[in-house]
Amino acid sequence: MTKKLTAGLALAGLIVLFGLIGPLLTGDPATIRDIGLTSPGGDHLLGTTITGQDVLAQLTHATRGSLWIGLLVGVMATVLSGVFGIVGAYAGGVVDEVFSLFSNVMLVIPGLPLVIVVAGFVPADQRGTWTISLVLAITGWAAAARVLRAQTLSLRNRDYVAAARVSGEKTWRVICVEILPNLLPILASQFVFAVVLAILSEAGLSFLGLGAADSSTLGTMLYYAQNGFALQREAWWWFVPPGLIIAVFGGALSLINFSIDEIINPELRNKVKRRRDVVATTPVVAPADDAVLTVSDLNVVYRSATPVHAVKDVSLTLRRGEILGLAGESGCGKTTLAYAINRLHRPPAEVTSGSVVFDGADVLALSPEELREFRWVKLSMVFQGAMNSLNPVTPIRAQLQDVLRTHRPSMSSSDREDRCAEVLRLVGVDPARLGSFPHELSGGMRQRVMIAMALLLEPQVMIMDEPTTALDVLVQREILNEIKRLRDELRFAVVFITHDLPLLLELSDSIAVMRDGEVVEYASAEEIYLRPQHPYTRQLLASFPSLTGERGALIR
Amino acid sequence: MGYHLRKVAFYLAALWAAVTLNFVIPRLLPGNPVDILMAKLQQRGGSVDPAARQAYETLLGTGGRESFAVEYLAYLGNLARGDLGVSVSAFPAKVSDVIGDSLPWTVVLVGLATLISFVLGVGLGALVGWKRGTWLDSLVPATTMLSAVPYFWLALILVALLSSGLGWFPLNGGYDVVLDPGWSPEFLGSALYHGTLPALTIVISSVGGWLLGMRNMMVSAMSEDYVLTARAKGLTGSRVMVRYAARNAVLPSVAGFAISLGFVVSGSIVTEQVFSYPGIGSKLLQAVQNNDYALMQGIFLVITIAVLGANLLVDLLYGLIDARTRDRSTVS
Repeated sequence: MTKKLTAGLALAGLIVLFGLIGPLLTGDPATIRDIGLTSPGGDHLLGTTITGQDVLAQLTHATRGSLWIGLLVGVMATVLSGVFGIVGAYAGGVVDEVFSLFSNVMLVIPGLPLVIVVAGFVPADQRGTWTISLVLAITGWAAAARVLRAQTLSLRNRDYVAAARVSGEKTWRVICVEILPNLLPILASQFVFAVVLAILSEAGLSFLGLGAADSSTLGTMLYYAQNGFALQREAWWWFVPPGLIIAVFGGALSLINFSIDEIINPELRNKVKRRRDVVATTPVVAPADDAVLTVSDLNVVYRSATPVHAVKDVSLTLRRGEILGLAGESGCGKTTLAYAINRLHRPPAEVTSGSVVFDGADVLALSPEELREFRWVKLSMVFQGAMNSLNPVTPIRAQLQDVLRTHRPSMSSSDREDRCAEVLRLVGVDPARLGSFPHELSGGMRQRVMIAMALLLEPQVMIMDEPTTALDVLVQREILNEIKRLRDELRFAVVFITHDLPLLLELSDSIAVMRDGEVVEYASAEEIYLRPQHPYTRQLLASFPSLTGERGALIR
Repeated sequence: MGYHLRKVAFYLAALWAAVTLNFVIPRLLPGNPVDILMAKLQQRGGSVDPAARQAYETLLGTGGRESFAVEYLAYLGNLARGDLGVSVSAFPAKVSDVIGDSLPWTVVLVGLATLISFVLGVGLGALVGWKRGTWLDSLVPATTMLSAVPYFWLALILVALLSSGLGWFPLNGGYDVVLDPGWSPEFLGSALYHGTLPALTIVISSVGGWLLGMRNMMVSAMSEDYVLTARAKGLTGSRVMVRYAARNAVLPSVAGFAISLGFVVSGSIVTEQVFSYPGIGSKLLQAVQNNDYALMQGIFLVITIAVLGANLLVDLLYGLIDARTRDRSTVS
């Protein structure tokens, strides 16, 4: 249990207890005495009202009244939102359309004005707690229904729900057994929200003199305090406590809601501020003459509850114009390695030792500003999730130009435009596409745009992390040929990361095979193909079927 | 159907629902509003001839003498002519005139306050999400606590502290009553001065919602691949934050504008009452207290139309800032 949840539950619990038990311990709140507006102390811990009524006694009864209405409305609104949100989304088709339209209409019609109008028409003597609660519930369920609908729609398509439906379970059973339990956190948070909203709205209504005639709530108390000119007479003890109770209760429920949100989405938890991404480095070894990137004895550790040593003593040398293949199955640490070279790894990952030398410069020792200037100018990247690597809400042009604007501030805007068009042409994309948004491009085209972006500043090294994995074979082939051609033309070096060893055999000059964070074999592509040394390499080679279908007979 | 057309159609449907609700409510609820209105009218010295009675019956129901359909058509006809009836609390003014006088006050107050609150909340939320793990985190529970404070209570406390106590702001009203309403600089200055505290109340109470939503979306956006790419591109921190993370994170806040605007409008009604602000919220309560049903209904309708209009505007704006919506064939 987090600190927030504990604090929230404790505060809310105290106020509920205050409303439940308080009225039993304090006297009659309506008793009138001739000690109007006595300040707190003595017999009257919170002082008295203008007619000498005990404020503490009133406060306990009012808290009980407000909580009761909050509970009533919370339950009713949650049931309504469940019916319209969950049932609608589950039923689908016309029912969903109608329910969803109805929810949305109810959502955009402002609630309190409607409540005021309804309360205005109902004669005061017929305005009871239930009437007011019902009206508040009817005007307050729509937002929750929308949230529930979205969640149900996504649950509905999950495998286990589909399985239950296919196996012929009854609809109500599928909803109650398969869907509801997964919606519980959201239902709970919507319920909490409905309770807060109801208490606030009711307080507003009562303050305006439109509340339930038969109940005393924090709102009615404030109404009397205001009409008795509590603040003008400086009787703060009469006016401040009811508002504070509402605020503290609302705040406590919000804390509970934060915790529920964090359970639903663990990402939202507060994190400790990022420590240094590099904890220690080893002295730089003088790199080989034609080496552009030298990684020596690099170690990366994820500092989680059980630390994971993701990259262990990795040493690699990339020469100018070389294509270095990095092979290994998912989770072997190849992406972590690629990120660490550019210091893009995020907490809890840390570089614990080793060195990365780029063209004579110690990358791990760069200051944040130097690092920023180093990125993309010297070393660019094409990411694994290239599909999602483009900002969905700005056109391609803006994303390409951003690079030039930052790293070539003196470039004129027409030169920038020309350069962007030029790189697109290099990768075989029509420059007219500059105005397109990412969603208007095919997967292969987006990947080409990413490669074009990586070429913008003519870096010496390009790291490509599974750049073709999500593409179909023909597009993959085209893009690989493109990369080879560009490398021959522009002479940049490439670190190419993939799980596809046969592909690397064909593409790269040398290959490093990674397993559990270690490089188990590192040799030229020819060497690896003809004389694989490590059993794991042989295993990897054997696991790909040849074109003739025989396992292990790798013929490309 | 295109995105814009679909949105307009939806708001027309919502408008029809609101108009119909307005028609149905007085007919379904207990009580006898027409008789009450006629009695009030008599007190005020208005003519209580059958024509006046019929006008109110069109609005509030004939008590079963005419069929629902006939009443509904007559009611829609009156609406189409902009005829909302005669107000008894401001007799002999017409409802439409009372609304016309008070609406600008509310539109400016609520509009400006909402805009300030949105910009402030979204801006701070982006910063809090971006700088996660610093002292800024404490802004989230602090502002959320402020959203749980009743508007009117906060307003009265502010008045007690800043107006009565320190004398920085006027106690109530929308302008200095010695001035003539108009476009003179003195009057505008006075209106601004009088509007500050009500606006401050609305901003303080509503900023937390925007801040929390934005902060949470910012946290999600920051783990997106395009933000990682932006960092790899060596862009400056502020550019990555604004153009990549915040630009995407703000979308749900804009999409959820309808919900938030509803809260703000509700809260501002009560706030106006506290400040005796000459806006439409005060008029609505005045109408309720005086059983001025015609004015009450007219104001509800106008508030609803204003909210629907604002939401339509925001939805159309959303189409501009997220190109994907324009191309999607179904709306979610």
